[in-house]
Amino acid sequence: MFGWNAQRKTLNARGSAWVGWLLLGLCLLPTAYTPQPASAQQTTLTVLTHESFSLDKKLIAQFEKESGIRLRFLKAGDAGETLNRAILTKAAPVADVLYGFDNSMLSKALAAGILEPYRSPQLANLRSEFVLDQTYRAFPVDYGYVALNYDKAYFKGKPLPQAFTDLARPEFAKLLVVENPATSSPGLAFLLASIAAFGEEGYLGFWEDLRKNGVRVEKGWSEAYNVAFSKNGGDRPLVVSYATSPAAELFYADKKPSEPPTGNLLLPKSSFLQIEFVGILKGNKHPAAARKFVDWLLSKPVQENIPTQMWVYPTRKDAALPEVFKWAEVPKEPAKLSPQQIARDAERWIREWTQVVLQGQTANSVKAKR
Amino acid sequence: MPRHLLSLPVLLFLTLALIYPLGRMLVLGIGEGWGLTLANPYYWGRLAWSLAYGLGSSLLVIALALPLAYAFRYRFPGRDLLLSLATVPFVLPTIVVALGFLALVGPRGVLGVNLYGTPWILFWASAFYNLGLVLRMLVALLGALESPLAAARTLGASPLRAYFRVGVPLLVPALLAGGGLTFLYSFTSFGLPLILGGPRYATLEVEVYGLLAYHLAFPEATALILLQLAVSALVTLLYLNAQRRFSLSLSAAPQPKPLSPASAWRLAFGVWLFFLAMYAPLLALLARALSTPEALASAWTSEDFTPAWLAIWNTLRFAGLSLLVVLPVGFLYAYAVWRGARGLDLVGLLPLLVSPVAVGLGYLLAYPSLGGSLVILIGAYALLSYPLLARALLPSFRALPGTVLEAARVLGASPWRRLWRVEWPLLRPAFLSGTALALAAVVGEFGATLVLRRPEWATLSVAIYERLGRAGAGPFAEALGLAGLLALLAGGLFLLLDRGRRGLG
Repeated sequence: MFGWNAQRKTLNARGSAWVGWLLLGLCLLPTAYTPQPASAQQTTLTVLTHESFSLDKKLIAQFEKESGIRLRFLKAGDAGETLNRAILTKAAPVADVLYGFDNSMLSKALAAGILEPYRSPQLANLRSEFVLDQTYRAFPVDYGYVALNYDKAYFKGKPLPQAFTDLARPEFAKLLVVENPATSSPGLAFLLASIAAFGEEGYLGFWEDLRKNGVRVEKGWSEAYNVAFSKNGGDRPLVVSYATSPAAELFYADKKPSEPPTGNLLLPKSSFLQIEFVGILKGNKHPAAARKFVDWLLSKPVQENIPTQMWVYPTRKDAALPEVFKWAEVPKEPAKLSPQQIARDAERWIREWTQVVLQGQTANSVKAKR
Repeated sequence: MPRHLLSLPVLLFLTLALIYPLGRMLVLGIGEGWGLTLANPYYWGRLAWSLAYGLGSSLLVIALALPLAYAFRYRFPGRDLLLSLATVPFVLPTIVVALGFLALVGPRGVLGVNLYGTPWILFWASAFYNLGLVLRMLVALLGALESPLAAARTLGASPLRAYFRVGVPLLVPALLAGGGLTFLYSFTSFGLPLILGGPRYATLEVEVYGLLAYHLAFPEATALILLQLAVSALVTLLYLNAQRRFSLSLSAAPQPKPLSPASAWRLAFGVWLFFLAMYAPLLALLARALSTPEALASAWTSEDFTPAWLAIWNTLRFAGLSLLVVLPVGFLYAYAVWRGARGLDLVGLLPLLVSPVAVGLGYLLAYPSLGGSLVILIGAYALLSYPLLARALLPSFRALPGTVLEAARVLGASPWRRLWRVEWPLLRPAFLSGTALALAAVVGEFGATLVLRRPEWATLSVAIYERLGRAGAGPFAEALGLAGLLALLAGGLFLLLDRGRRGLG
C-alpha cells in the first residue's frame, strides 16, 4: 500500500512542487508589504469614521506631506455603530478624531462626554444654521437630505404619490422599500420624518398602514438600494435614499444621459435634514494633529471635494458646488425635530417601530403600553 | 512530543485572540437585565428559528453530500473544477450572493418563481455556502472507502448494500465534521437570512448585533450571547462525541477511482447537472458581471474608488499573511487533539461558537492601542479560519493507520522522521483541502465589521462594498465585475491547490 512505484513518485514530486510553490508564494507575499517606517517625528492620527467616508486620495496625500501627519482611518459600520464604538471605548480611546455622527445622534455624543472642546478658526467660515453645538465640541462638516427616490422607468405613464399618506394607499401597495431604523441612519432619518409629520399619536398608525400595504424592510442603505430598488433589478420602485442620489446616478452613468434614471419624490415633510459632525476625542494622543485635521476637513479644498466623494453638501459658506448638483434638489419642507427631543425619545421610537412593523403588533396596542 | 507542550501555543493564541477580548466584552454585561431578556418570548422565537435553520441546513447539506460522495469516488471530467466551484461561495460578500439568488428566483427573477421571503431560498442559500465545506472534507477521505467497499462486494454484498452498510458508516466522521460546521455557520449566520428572507428570519445573532452595536445594551446582549454559546456548545459536544465514536482507522491514501470513458461521461453529466442547478446563482452573477466588461476595465484603474489591481494585490498579500498564522496553529491544534488533548477539542472550536460581533468589540476594549494595526486584523482572520483547517485535518489524523506508524517506530524512525516520511504524506491531501477552506474563509472575511485600514489597504471585498455604497449604475456594474473577479480568482486558487492534491495521488 505504501509501495510507491516510479510513476507515482514522479506524479508525487510534480504535485508537491506545484503546491509548494503556491503556498510559498502566498506566504512570501507579505514580505512585499513594507510599512513605511514611522519616523520618530511622524505622528499617526487615527480617525474613527463610518463606511461611507471618502475623500480624494490626492488631497489626503497632500495633507500628509505638508503636515507630516500620517492618517489612518478606522471604519466601523454605519454612523450609529461608529459613535457607539467611540462611547464603548471611552476609557481607552481607539482613535483621536471621530467623524460622521449626525444631528440625530448629536445629543447622545455630547452627553456621553467623549468629545473635547476646540475653538476652530474655521467655525466663522461655516454656515451658522448648522453650528448646533455651542460648546465647541462638534463641528458640522457636511449636510444632506434623506429623501424618497423613484425609478423613472417604472413610473413612466403612471401617477406618482402626491402626499406622504399616499404611500399607504392600495394603488401604491408593495412599491416602497425602507431601511430598518434600528440599523441604518437613513432609516432612522425617515422614521424621524414620519414622526415630525404625523406626531407622537399618528406615526405608528401610519407605519401600521405601510406594513399592511406591504412595505419592504432592509438592513441598510446598500441592501435597499442595490438589491430591492427596481432600478438595480429589485421589485421596489420607491426607495428611501438621499436627495443627491439622482445626481450621483447621472455622475456615474456610463454613457452620460441627459437626465438621471431616478428622481426625487419630495413629498412634503417626507425628507429629513442630516448634518454630519466631526469632533476630537477625549484622551487622544495627538491633540495638535487632531486640531490640524479638523481645520483641514473644514478648509475650502476639502469642502469642495466632499460633494462628489460623499454626495452631501459642504457646510462652508464659500465652497462651490459641482455642476451635477443641479440634479440634487433641496426639499422645500424637510421635517424638523430638535436633537434634544431625538436624544430623549429615539430609543423608544425605534422600539415601537420594531413592534409595529417587524413584530406585527397594532399601533393601538403599542401605544397603550407606553 | 508531550501533548500539553503541543497544546500550549494553541491555548496561548486562543487566550489572546479570543478569550481575553470576549471576557472584556462580557464583563460589561454583568448586571440586571438578564432575567428580563431571557423571559422575553421574542428572543426564544429567534432562538427557535436559529436552531431550526442550523439543524435544517446541516441535515440538508449532509443529505446532498452523501450521494455526491459516491460520485466523487470516481474520476470524471471536471471533477476538480466542480470542487473548486463549490468552495467559491465562501469568499463572496453576502450582498453579492443575494443579488445572484434574487436575479434568478427573486420578485423579478428570470425563472419566474418568487422565492423571496420563503424558507426555501434560505435553505438553498445555506447549502450553497456550505456544501463545498462538506464535500472537501469527504473528498479528503474518499480513497479510504476503496478497499473496504471492494471487500464487501467480493463477499457478495450488492452495490447498494455495500454502500449503505460499509460506505456510509465510513463516511460518517467527515459528514459529521462538515455537518457540525454547517450547523455552526448557519446558527450564527447574520446577513444572508435577513437579506433573502426579510426581518422575519433574523437569527439570534442579528439580535445580539443590534443590542451591542446600536443600543450598547450590554446585559441584554450578554444574556443572549451566553444563551447562544450554551446551545451551540451543546450541539457541538454531541457531534464531537459522535465523531469520536465513529472514527475508524483506515489504511489507504485517497485516490479517485478511474472509470471507463462512457460511464465517466454519464456520471459527469449527472453531477454537472446538479452543480449547475445548485450553483446557478453564482453563474447568474458571473453572467451579469461579464455582460459589462467595460465596467471591469474602468474598475481596474478607477480614480473614484480603490482600483481593482490594488485590491487584488492586497487580498493576496493579506491572505498570505494570515496563512502564516493559520497553518501552524491549525496543524498543531489538530495534531494535539489527535494525540489525545481531548479538552482542546471543544475549546478549539470556540471561535465558531461565539458571536463574532462580541469578539470584534472585545478587541477594541482589550487592545485599544493596536486598534488600527495589522496584528489585530491578522489575528482575527486567523482565529476565524484555523478551525476549518483543523476540522479538515482531524478525520485524516484519526484515519492514520496505527500499524504503519508502529512499524516505522519499530524500524527505528525518530518522531520527526515519522512525521515527515509517514504521517505527513498521508495527511497532505486533507491538509491542502483544509488550507483551501481556511484560505476561502480568510479571503471572504475581509469585509468583516472590524476593518481597520488605510485607504490603500482596501481588499477586494472592501472595494466591492465601497462601490455598493454609492448610487449609480457605474459603481454598481463595477461592484458586480469585481465580485466576478473575486469568484474567478478564488476559484483559480482552489483549483491550483486541488491540482496539487491530486498530483500527490
